[in-house]
This record gives sequence, structure tokens and C-alpha cells, in this order.
Amino acid sequence: MILPIPVLFLSVVIPMVISLALPFVKDKKTAAYISILLLAIPFAVVVALSAMTMLREPIADPVFFSDPSLGKFSMLLDSLSAPLAISIGLVTTMVAWYSVPYMEHRFQEMEEEKTNPPGWGVYYMLYIMFSTAMMGTVLSTNLIEFYLFLEVSLLPSFLLIAFYGYGKRERIALLYLIWTHVGALAFLVGSLALGLTVGTFDYYDPVNLKPLLGLGDLLPTAMRLSVAVAILIGLFVKMAVFGVHIWLPYAHAEAPTPVSALLSPNLIGIAGYALIRIAYVLFPEQFSSLAPYMLGLGLLTIIYGGLMALAQDDFKRLLAYSSVSQMGYLLVGISTVTALGMAGALLHYTAHAVGKALLFTTAGVLIAELHGLRSISKMGGLAPKMPITAALALIGFMHITGIPPSLGLWSEVLILTGVANAAVKLNAFFPILILLLIGIGLSTAYSFVTMKRMFYGPESEAAKHAKEARSSLLMPMVIIAAVGLILFLVPQLLIEPMMSTLKALLAG
Amino acid sequence: MNVWAFSTWLVPYIGALLALLLRKLGKVRDVIAVLALAVSAFSSIPLLMEVLSSPERVVHESFPWIPSLTVNVGVYVDPLAGWMALIVAWLSFLIGVYSFKYMEHDPGLTRYWFFFDFFVGSMLLLVLADNLLLMFLGWEGTGLASYSLIGHWFTDEDEKCVGDIGRKALGVPMWFTPSHSGLRALVFTRLGDVGFILGIGTLYYFTGTLSIPAIAEHVGEWAAPLAKSGLLFPFLLAFSLGAFAKSAQFPFHEWLVTAMTGPTSVSALIHAATMVKAGVYFLLRFSPIFMLAAHEVEAAAPQVHAFFATVALIGGFTAFFMATQALVARELKLILAFSTASQLGYMFLALGSAGLIHEFPLGFLAGFSHLMSHAIFKASLFLAAGAMIHAVESKYVDDMGGLSKYMKWTFLSMAIAVLSLSGVPPLMGFWSKDTIIEVAKESGMLLPYLFGVVTAALTAFYSLRMLIKAFLFEESENVRHLVEHHHLHEAPGLMLIPYLSLALASLLIGVVWPVIGPGLLESMVNHVLGIEEAFHPEIHLDPALLATSLTMVAIGMGTAWYLYMTRSGLQVVTSIQENKVLKSLQDFLYDRWYINSIYYLVIVNGFLAVSRLGYKYFDTLIIDGFYHRFIPWITERASTLGFAKFETPIIDETYHNRIVKLFLKVGSAVRKLQTGKINHYLLIFILGLVLILIYLVWV
Repeated sequence: MILPIPVLFLSVVIPMVISLALPFVKDKKTAAYISILLLAIPFAVVVALSAMTMLREPIADPVFFSDPSLGKFSMLLDSLSAPLAISIGLVTTMVAWYSVPYMEHRFQEMEEEKTNPPGWGVYYMLYIMFSTAMMGTVLSTNLIEFYLFLEVSLLPSFLLIAFYGYGKRERIALLYLIWTHVGALAFLVGSLALGLTVGTFDYYDPVNLKPLLGLGDLLPTAMRLSVAVAILIGLFVKMAVFGVHIWLPYAHAEAPTPVSALLSPNLIGIAGYALIRIAYVLFPEQFSSLAPYMLGLGLLTIIYGGLMALAQDDFKRLLAYSSVSQMGYLLVGISTVTALGMAGALLHYTAHAVGKALLFTTAGVLIAELHGLRSISKMGGLAPKMPITAALALIGFMHITGIPPSLGLWSEVLILTGVANAAVKLNAFFPILILLLIGIGLSTAYSFVTMKRMFYGPESEAAKHAKEARSSLLMPMVIIAAVGLILFLVPQLLIEPMMSTLKALLAG
Repeated sequence: MNVWAFSTWLVPYIGALLALLLRKLGKVRDVIAVLALAVSAFSSIPLLMEVLSSPERVVHESFPWIPSLTVNVGVYVDPLAGWMALIVAWLSFLIGVYSFKYMEHDPGLTRYWFFFDFFVGSMLLLVLADNLLLMFLGWEGTGLASYSLIGHWFTDEDEKCVGDIGRKALGVPMWFTPSHSGLRALVFTRLGDVGFILGIGTLYYFTGTLSIPAIAEHVGEWAAPLAKSGLLFPFLLAFSLGAFAKSAQFPFHEWLVTAMTGPTSVSALIHAATMVKAGVYFLLRFSPIFMLAAHEVEAAAPQVHAFFATVALIGGFTAFFMATQALVARELKLILAFSTASQLGYMFLALGSAGLIHEFPLGFLAGFSHLMSHAIFKASLFLAAGAMIHAVESKYVDDMGGLSKYMKWTFLSMAIAVLSLSGVPPLMGFWSKDTIIEVAKESGMLLPYLFGVVTAALTAFYSLRMLIKAFLFEESENVRHLVEHHHLHEAPGLMLIPYLSLALASLLIGVVWPVIGPGLLESMVNHVLGIEEAFHPEIHLDPALLATSLTMVAIGMGTAWYLYMTRSGLQVVTSIQENKVLKSLQDFLYDRWYINSIYYLVIVNGFLAVSRLGYKYFDTLIIDGFYHRFIPWITERASTLGFAKFETPIIDETYHNRIVKLFLKVGSAVRKLQTGKINHYLLIFILGLVLILIYLVWV
């Protein structure tokens, strides 16, 4: 279905433009409410359009920009982009609400440190630009469009870390900026090499509503593999897979916590989506031949991220390494090159968004309510004092380890079913089983060891003075958790359309 | 829609939700939670009746949920599922009633009832599910509930721990807090579940369906290609890995031991009567299908046999190995926990042997009937133990003694259950255990059979030892103290009735077994999914086998009686403590063959070391160092050095000095030529001309 007016594009751009006026809003409450409303626009549009079609057919904007050498710019909401768009809409809106009490605390803290960051208006302006740019990236249909929105998402997130982050925030912000640009650059080089040779940058035809499958075959044979690899490397850096993961723990641990809750599940997972939507679509053959190596890399990332998470004492850093490990699950699912595995990976984006958003906001609750408490070894016995926070954290860990009744169960099942396919096909059943045992064992271990160290056991010094968090912090978390639990009951709404789209895509 | 089938598993879930919603209402919440269990229990009866009276002996109904994965919300109730559901639902209900009193005044009751009912719903879902994923959902749900209930008292007070506080084996602490035990249970069982789900994925890959009856029907589709590539054996092991872990078979047994930190009602329900049987149920459900594979696909037979032999061996070993640990245990609940794992080993032995003998249904029934009889007497034992621990305020049997005087009904109940566990005729436990030893013998595998026989003696010994120490032994200091203060009394009715009635059931069913047994067994086996030929079970006693097993029971019980009830025996017990070799053997058993310690020293510490060292030396030093130290450093060095050694001396020098100087030199040289004298110019001109001419001539 092609929309009569570019609703998707407008829902992304209008909040972005209006947000430019936010620095002039002096009252923090007003700025916050305007922001929540602005973010609710793309969320509502995406949910409404998904509900209208039940995702049975793709929905695209009319082409709103076209150029003979660049191709057509449009926006696409289909069964593949919807899980991401809905997750981004949900998390950014809820965390904007959560930001009110949290940033209140952060501003106070920074005032005590005698630093004067830009005020509420600037915070929310950057927050909205970051959030809507992510939405734009996911909905794009053209490489240049994708790249532009990605760039727009990077700058505000860079500034958010530099202005409001923890530790050596300026250095870490810079590090984040450079790293993500290294990734973006590799992606851009690949894109330019492809686009300039074949004469279009589209990866999806927004007029006929079809992916441009195998577009890369128009390249000279000698170039195909290197262009595909450049694009893959760019996405791997963004996804922070093993080897190029090292920027992530810095950025995600030291960003202001609401921004961590956006960076960690939402931003990096987009690269996983792009692996399917862009890398596979453009280079199906090259992708399939590289897939076994990517599967290995994914398994390595799961295990490595899990091992590193286990060594952390800082809760936010642990979550950051956990995100590395979780990206391994996405990569593994995608590298099976099966509809099941890919659907599992996209669904896991949503499960991880719910789970990791809950966990980062839990970290934020402890920081805001217990005087900047981040060290796990100083926690313990918090559950009797903060039962709701503990329950929300448990639901978060259940999402990332795939325990019912959480959406994570379905994504894990789909990914592992895909892996079983690949394992039989590659004749590597036993080694893959062993690696999965280690990987999933580690994920379960670091999750529930942390749960125990934080919330159970005898009362720690910190727990003595603890009490349940303010409801303004907890309410947005409860809503996120509820969405995860409800989606557990109705996963078919996402799985069914995804499976049919992916089956068609993989069949060529 | 079949109301009974759905209400059996769905109503407990609703009860769980209601318990959460009514959390402010105290007793009302508790009553509602138990009522939900009652509805489930009473629904399971008409459900079973319907199954047994239908011509196909099956109730199968499903509604699509995730069509592309063939996941349905559906039930497939054959006699196996029907009987199992009946047992689970009724035990849950009885233990729910017991909990109502036992958990009174606990501060975490909302959480308790939520997870209790959630567990029952999940357990029944896994029993009744008509497709693999729904079964897996229930399976995982029971794991979550088990995790939460084991760690119910997560503030980890010393008195809630399992093991002797301060005791270490090979330097590894041997006492476990509730939160630690919950974690162990979750991690151990999830390891197995990875294999389970990978197996489900493999089946789906070959058959394109997750429906359990369809997988039985299209057995060739998956068995043939797997058998051909030699993957069938690894596949069967992976697929059943979840069952091994859930049923605490070696090497996954450790979690069940420490699961005893949970409230005793939970130990009775989850860690004795139902959840740990899920692994056995899994084998009951799927081993007939594996047998079909062996029959229909020629290449599959050896691999299927190898699988069953593995199951028998692991089961037999677990039975023996866990029983040895029960011999020396001092905590009442630990004795029962070891015993549970050991009895589960018997069931695995039965099902493993089933696949190796001529009459598969005989082994199937041996496993199934032992599952039922064990569920009944072990639940009774645990519930009674809960009452006793509550009464004497200590978990150690050494702090009991002489209780027969003060808790007569509990003594009666416990004595019956102990006799049943020991396999004394004519109790229920005797019949089911005897069949297991019979099929183990028939399987032709010597080792598992020997394990089975020896374990019979060990079981009789530790059961009677427990009974003597708690009830018949001289009163301990603790008991005397309690009696003086009038604190020791019989359990209240709401607690007593459930375990007494279970013990009596174990007795009565045993007594009438020769009469009702054949009919009952027939209803349990015929028309079970995958068992196609009709089987006519009969109750018979092989005299040689009977003599063997009764001798074993007599040896076990006799030894226990001699050691703990006679003066000379007690001296022997004392002298064991003084003998170095025997004492170290006792420690070896008491510290669980040091396997827990080895797990911690090798696996846990190994991973922790890799994690810490990897973080410190690889992630921080090498990776982080490479990108964020080495690359900036090398860039900076290159820049400084380049500036000092290249930019300044070479480039700068060349352009701004050397070239300038060169030009200056050339200039001055040219200037020297410009002497201003005509004859000099002429000379040069002529010389040049000559050179050009020579060049031209030459070329």
C-alpha cells in the first residue's frame, strides 16, 4: 500500500523540526511534556499503520525525493521494519517520561560537581533528534537516506554523552563519535562503490514495493565481494561484534542512563536489521557464502560478551557487555540465512529492546535513588526494600535469556530453530551444540548471578537506607514490561507476517 | 472445546493471576489459589474418563496460535497424558492444602501462591500439550517457578541454608543459601534445555511441523536422514538433554540436592512428585516414538539402541550413586532429596531397558508405574518431613529421635511411606521397583542391572535409618528440651491429612495391586502415542528375581536395624568415626563424591578465571589497548617522529633549504659562466656545437 501523503516521513521529520524550538522553552515540565507528545507521534503512526494492515502488506510513503543518480527516497513500514519501529517508538517515548525524574537527579548532581551543562530544552531537543533519526534510519529505503539518518542520530547522541555523561565524558563521547564514523565510513565506501556503478542507491523499490534483490550483481564480478565486505564491516562495527566491540562498553556505560537505554537496545540493533534489509538484499550470494563465518563470529560474540559481562562490577558496564553478547544472538540468527533465524533475530531486537531498556532503567533507578550506586558488590538484599524494581529487573533478565512468559522466549526459540537448520546443513551439529551450551549457559549465569548479587542475600549497607523508587521512575518501566509480557501472548502478530516476507525474500 | 482438558491446565494459571491481583486480601488470596488447584484436580478426572472411554482413547483439540511455526494452543491427551495429569493435579491440590497451613504467616505469600499456581499450570501444560513448543513453554515455566520457589527465602538467613554452615570440601563451601540454590537450579536445567530446543528445531527442519502426533506419524521423515548421516544418536542425546537435566540425572544431579532450600511443600511438589518427573515423562512420551523410528528405518536401529543403552546406564548409575550419598546424610530433607534423584535413576533405568528388551511396553510400564508410586509416597514423605522439621525446629535427624511418642500419626504415615520406598511387599513401591529390576535384568546389560540390585539394599538401609533416627532412637537433647517446654506436638489436621492419605493410598493400592494392577496397567499403556500393538500386562513374580530383591531389602533393613537399634551396632557406628579409612569414605559420601567441589573448582572457577583474566589481559590490555592506546600512540609517535625526522629535516629542508640552496648554487655557477668576455662565450658555443655534432654523427 502506498500512502497518499508521506505520513511516515512527516511523522519523523515534524518532531525533529519542532524540537529545534525546545531550547527556548524554559520550563522543564513543559519541555518534557512537549517531548513526550512529539515522540508519541511516530510511535502512534507506526502502531496505527501496523494495526491497520496487520503487516500483511508493505506500507510505503509516496516517493518524496528522487534524483537520477541517487535513486528514490521513501519510507517503508513492513513486517521487517515494524518490530524495530515499534520498539524504538515504545522505548523512546517511555524513556522520555522516565527522563524527567532521572535528569532532575543528574542536573542536581552536576550542579554539585560545579559543571553547568545545557538545560532541559537542549537535552530534550537532542533526545528527540536522536530518537526520530533512529526511526528514520529504520524506515529508509535508500542507502543515502539510510546513511543521512544514521548520521543525524550520531551527532545528538554524541552531544548527549558529552554534555550529560559520566566519567571522562568528553573523551568517551569523542571515542564514540570516531568509532561509529569508522563504521559508517566503511558502509559509505561500500555504498558509494555500489551506487555510483549501478546508478541507484535504492535497496528497496518503493513504487513496486519490492526489495531490489541481487542489485549487487550489476557490479563487475571482481568488485562484488569487496563491496559486500565493506558494507558488512561497517555494520559489524555498529553492531559491536567481537573484535570491534570495544567502544560500546565505554559509551553505553558512561552515557546518561536514559540515553544508554536508547543506545544499547535500539541503536546498535539497527545494524542487525540492515544486515538483512541491505546486505542480504543487495548481495544474497556473497552473503550466503560468508554466512558460516558470520555464524562463527556470532557464536564467539555471544560467548565473549558473556564472559566479559561476568567480570564486571559496574552494573551499567555489565549491561553494556551483555549488549555485545546479545548482538551475537542477532548475528547468529541472521547468519543461518533461514526465515526462522532471521525472524528470530528481528524479534530478538524487540525482546532485547524491552529487556535492556528495563535493565538500564533499573540501573538508573539505583543511581537516582541510592546516591549514584552502580557497583554490584555494594548492592545485595535490595529486593525486600524495592520489590517492584526487583520484579522489573527480573522481567528484564528473563527477556534477554528467553524465559517465559517473556517475548524473549519466542525470539530464542526462533533463533535456535534456525540454528538447528544451519547446524544440520553445515554438518556441524555437535560443535554448534557445545558452543550454544556455553553461550546460553553464560548468558543465564551472568544474568541470574547479577540478579542474586543485587537483590537477594543479606541486607547490604546500601539496602539499609533503601526504599521503593518513586512511581514516576517506575511507571514507564511497568509499561515497557507489560508490553513485553503481552507480546509473549500474541507473538504471532509479528512472527506471521515476518515469516511470510522472509520466506519470499529467501526464495528469491 | 473440551472444557475439562483446558480447565485442567488453564485454571491454575488464572489462579496465579488472581493471587497477584488479590494480594491485599490475605486469606482470601490463599483460598482462591487453592481453589484453582481444586478445579484443576477435579477437571482431570472427567478428562481421563473421557480419554479412556473414547474409541481412539485420545482427546485431541487445538487452536492455531503461530501458524507459520505450527504452534497451536492444543491438548493431546492419550492415556499417558491423562494419567499423568491426574497424578499431577491431585498431588498439587493436596500439597496446596498442606501449604495453606504450612506457609501461614509467611511474608512472601503472594509470591508463593503466584509461583505455586503458575508452576501447576506449567506442569500440566507440558503434560497435556499437543505440540513441542507448547510443551517447551510449560517446561520452561516450571523452571522459572522452581527457581523462584527454591529461592523463596532469598534473604538467605543461615537457618534457611542447605548443608552444614562452615563445612568445606576441597576448599569449596558445602552450604548453600536459597538464592544460590535457585541460581544453580536455573543454570543446570537451562543447559539441558539448549539441547531440547535444538532438538525441536531439528525435528522441525525435517518434518516442518511441531505437532507431537505428527512427528510420531512421520517418523521416517526425520529419522531416516538423521540416521544416514550418523546424526541420530547425537540428536537423540541433545533432544533428551533437557530431560536428563530436569530429572537430575548424573552429571546434572547437583541442582536437585541444594533445591532443598525451598519451603518443604515446594520440595514435595516440585522437587519430588512432579517437576523432576518431567524428564521421565519426556522419555515416556518420546521413547515409543524413538522405538517406531528403530522399527521403520533400518539404519536407525543401532543408533536408537545406543541411545537407550546410554539412558539405562546413566539411570542405573544415578540410582546407585545418589543412594550412596543418602546413606550418610544428616539432614532429613537431604536424605529425601538424594533418594528422589536415586529413584528417578530407577525410572531412567526402566525406560532405557525398555528400548533394549523384546517387550517395550513392559519397560514403559515399569517406568510409568514407578513414577506414579514414587510420586505418591515421596510426596507423603516430604510433607511429613516438613511437619517434623517444623516441630523440632531443626533440619537434622540427629536433633530428632523418639518422635514416635509425640507425633504418632506422622510416624504411622512415615513408616508406611518408608516401607513403600524400600520396596517391602505388598506396598506400591515394591511392585513398581520389582518390575524395573526385572526389565533391567532382561535388557542384558550387566552393569545397570547390578546398580539396580545394589541400590535396592541401599534404599532399604537409608530409609529405615532415617525412620529410626527420627522416631525410634533415643530422644535427642533438642527433643527433650522441646518436650520440657511443651513445644512438641502432632501436626495440625490440614497438614496431616494430605500426607497420611497419600501414605495410605500407597499401602492400599499396593495391597489390591494383584487384582487391579493388570487392568490399570492396561489402561495406562494401550493406545499411548507410538505404542501400536495391544499389550496385556499381567502381575507375575519371577521367584529368582523376587528372592534377589527381597534379600537386598532384608540386607539393607537388617543392617540399619543392627547399626542403630542394637548396642553392639551403635559401637560399630562409633568405631567408624575413629577409623581413618572408614571416616574418609564417610566424608567422601557426605561431600557428595566431591563432585560439587570439582564443578566449582574446574567449571565455575575456570569460567571465572577465563572471564577475569580475559577481561584484564585480553579485553582491556590487548583489544582496548590496541585501539585506544596503541593506535593513538603510534599515530602520535608517527606524527612527532615524522615531524622531527621527516617533515623538518627532509621535506622542509628540501623545499625551503636544499632547493633554495641548489638554486643559489646554480645561480652562482651560472653567474660564474657569465664572465662577460666574448671569447669565453665563443669557446663555449663552439664546444657545444662540437658536442651536438658528435652526438648526431654517433646516433
